Amino acid sequence: MKKRIIYYIAICLATLSASSCSKFDNYDAPDQTLKGTVTDVNTGKAVQTEVTGDNTAGTRIKIIELSWSPTATPQFLASFQDGTYINTKIFAGTYRMTVEGAFVPLVQTTPVVDNGKTVEVRGGTTTVDFAVEPFLRVEWVGEPVLNANGTVTATYKITRGTANPLFQQNITDAYLFANGTKYVGNNNFMLAWSTKTTYAGNAANALLGTNQTITTPVLPKTREVYLRIGARIAFGANIYNYNEVKMITVP
Amino acid sequence: MKKKLYILFAVLITSFTACQKLDVPPVNIIQDKDIFGTEAGISAYMSRIYITMPIEDFKYHPAGGFNQNAQVGSAAAVTGEASSRDTGNATETFNYWSAAYTLIRDCNYFMETLPAYASNYKPEQIKNWIAEARFIRAFTYFALVKRYGGVPIVDKLLTSPGQTISELASEIEELRIPRAAEEAVYDFIATDCDQAFADLPETNKMGRANKYAAAALKSRAMLFAGTIAKYNTINLTSGNVRLCGIPSSKATTYFQAAYDAANLLTGKYSLYKNKWVAGDKAAQYNNFVNLFTDQTASNTEAIFVRQYKFPDAVHSYDALSVPKQLEGPQGNYSSEVLPTLNFVEMFEGFPKNPDGTIQVLDGTGKYIMFNNTTDLFANAEPRLRATVILPGDAFKGIPIEVRRGVYTGSSAGGLSKILPANSTAAYPATVLGSATVAANLDATNLVTISNGSKITRAGQSGVFTAIGVNATGGTFTGFYVRKYLNPDKATAETIPGRSEQQWMELRYGEVLLNKAEAAYELGGTYATEALTIINQIRDRAGATPYVAINTANDIRMERRRELAFENKTIWDMKRWRIADAEQSNTIYRALLPIMVADQSKYIMDSRFEERSVQFTFQVRWYYQQIPTAAIAKSLNLVQNPGW
Repeated sequence: MKKRIIYYIAICLATLSASSCSKFDNYDAPDQTLKGTVTDVNTGKAVQTEVTGDNTAGTRIKIIELSWSPTATPQFLASFQDGTYINTKIFAGTYRMTVEGAFVPLVQTTPVVDNGKTVEVRGGTTTVDFAVEPFLRVEWVGEPVLNANGTVTATYKITRGTANPLFQQNITDAYLFANGTKYVGNNNFMLAWSTKTTYAGNAANALLGTNQTITTPVLPKTREVYLRIGARIAFGANIYNYNEVKMITVP
Repeated sequence: MKKKLYILFAVLITSFTACQKLDVPPVNIIQDKDIFGTEAGISAYMSRIYITMPIEDFKYHPAGGFNQNAQVGSAAAVTGEASSRDTGNATETFNYWSAAYTLIRDCNYFMETLPAYASNYKPEQIKNWIAEARFIRAFTYFALVKRYGGVPIVDKLLTSPGQTISELASEIEELRIPRAAEEAVYDFIATDCDQAFADLPETNKMGRANKYAAAALKSRAMLFAGTIAKYNTINLTSGNVRLCGIPSSKATTYFQAAYDAANLLTGKYSLYKNKWVAGDKAAQYNNFVNLFTDQTASNTEAIFVRQYKFPDAVHSYDALSVPKQLEGPQGNYSSEVLPTLNFVEMFEGFPKNPDGTIQVLDGTGKYIMFNNTTDLFANAEPRLRATVILPGDAFKGIPIEVRRGVYTGSSAGGLSKILPANSTAAYPATVLGSATVAANLDATNLVTISNGSKITRAGQSGVFTAIGVNATGGTFTGFYVRKYLNPDKATAETIPGRSEQQWMELRYGEVLLNKAEAAYELGGTYATEALTIINQIRDRAGATPYVAINTANDIRMERRRELAFENKTIWDMKRWRIADAEQSNTIYRALLPIMVADQSKYIMDSRFEERSVQFTFQVRWYYQQIPTAAIAKSLNLVQNPGW
């Protein structure tokens, strides 16, 4: 009797240990690196943006893996706010790549334009840069100045980044975003420290290319404040174009 | 003789064998003939397709979906007309797609199957019932097109019961119907509504559609199509089909269709004025309250309603929305719908600054002192009072006490703003003290004011400082919603799943507003009519009539005042394409009464909501994301821009 129980247990153990032990995932892990920069085709400088996930608030890289289907579900890669992107966990394959953001779209329907790229991602690191025409170029003029009353005044200049009239809609607003960290933009800022200038109709056209000033509310003392200016046109998802982040110390 | 017997025997055997058929339908499953063969069966089918209609009523929430029984939060809180501690800045996330096509199939199945049973009924009955299914189908397509733009149009049964898997698989490509043009979907809705209008009866049972419901739906849908043609700038084209957006040249056609459809109701329905008396604000207030609680046939404004009845079909609106003071025995359910100051400022009847904001400071920048929190709104528009419980107003006979705190500093020589204008900072605790619910219940935390009475820091219905998700309730905007609340509901019954007031999905007030907006957009000879109609609405509301309609905004604001908390505003903001400009890092405002201890008087402080929750409407939300699960099933579905 006792022997029989032992046999049973032995059989059970044998079954358990032998079953499903040979299954493994034989597909290569996503080990490819895909990186690059989105630059202004006219100045060669990187196009500043806000940090974005796969939503449409800033620059995002759209990739479609073609080996399965030409209409496969797209994946989106986020971009850093300085206009560069990197993803180190991409499956090897052939991808159709394009980029979306506050610049003339690389893919348009009327008239039909498709400046996307088909890229072979294999063998380590693949660099794919895009040259685009931003809707607006926002530039600092000099450094932001700390005023005696605790506010900061910044001088900036906005110019159009494209000559294509289809993408020269009215400028709706310019926003001086301020934040306590270097990640600053429309998605990440202190409302109480920031200032928005709204333009009605085409009022902002007259200001293009001229020096404009904008002043923050009174900032709290003894801290570092990060600033950048965003401006946008009434096109598509109304995404901001930015200048580079600057830090100012409020004593 | 024996031979005869043999023959008889043989005849009997041959005639009685195999007469028992074995292939019988299972008797425990309800067959088409059981449903479609009797009127009771038809009623059961109808009741199911009516109850699954995508009506944004008490049980709708942008996160949860339709028919949510115990969803906390408020659908109004995504528009800025209200705030809710349990609803934040978001677009719909529940993917109304497969449920819509299930309902559309149910309608198509009904329309295609019923004629086979025509001999059981009068031809008139058949016509009416099919038209009801058609109305529901049109309603469902409208729910789809306003969310996604163009969607696949399925106007017939694609598969029939009993088809095998291999049969279905062989025709799978034909089942992957691509999206139709946005315009085509609106045209399809118009055709269905026209047919339903022709075939539906003049009157129908409460809760079921008559012909005027079809006309009212058409006026709503066509107005949407017209405004999208005129104001939309988003374009998504696949092949030659414009999936998002309508050519602007079509705007006039659609506005005309909206106007004509609304005209079909003229003389059939009227604005509810049963208790209305000219010049009597109290009567006008009562009248507007009763508009939403009068469930009898004398409600001349109700075109199409969804009925509720305890215990089988219930909602929880009272439990979720009543002021904290009137909270039911299950606790913590109150105060989910709190109108914002931004919404209240849309109305008239109280002093305002030149920029339209409420005036709470005198000419020298000091707070105006009030004896009571109700003083500021003593002459408010009756419709505002019927829509919103203002601070100190009575509900169910009980004054709703709202107080943010007691100012214990000196107010000699007048009191200047406690915080600078547009500040999002917290009030200094040194002067206002702690105003949590717990502190309010603490008898040792009372403050003595100059007239000798001892009062709690906060009012019994707020404003409390703990205002996070799932908190204990109390207002934080200073206001409570009034519209649709049942004034006769006992507090013991103010619990989830006990409310049964009906929801007016289509009412004549909206039809008139549709007509006025369409008339204004058409312009020309129609323009004066728009003014006349708007003034009918304003007259009933107890507001002073407009002298002229200067901009489209005048009409839009009237619509937002009249239809507030009826879950229409978010779709209006979307079709006017103003939502992204209106909600861009926007914080909504509150009006907080504060007791000044050394004068025993109230100041009313207008400020940003203390939660500082920001609202940004992303442009891509104008066209919601086609559910990825639907695209995975059919690659012919093109995703909307930005998703």
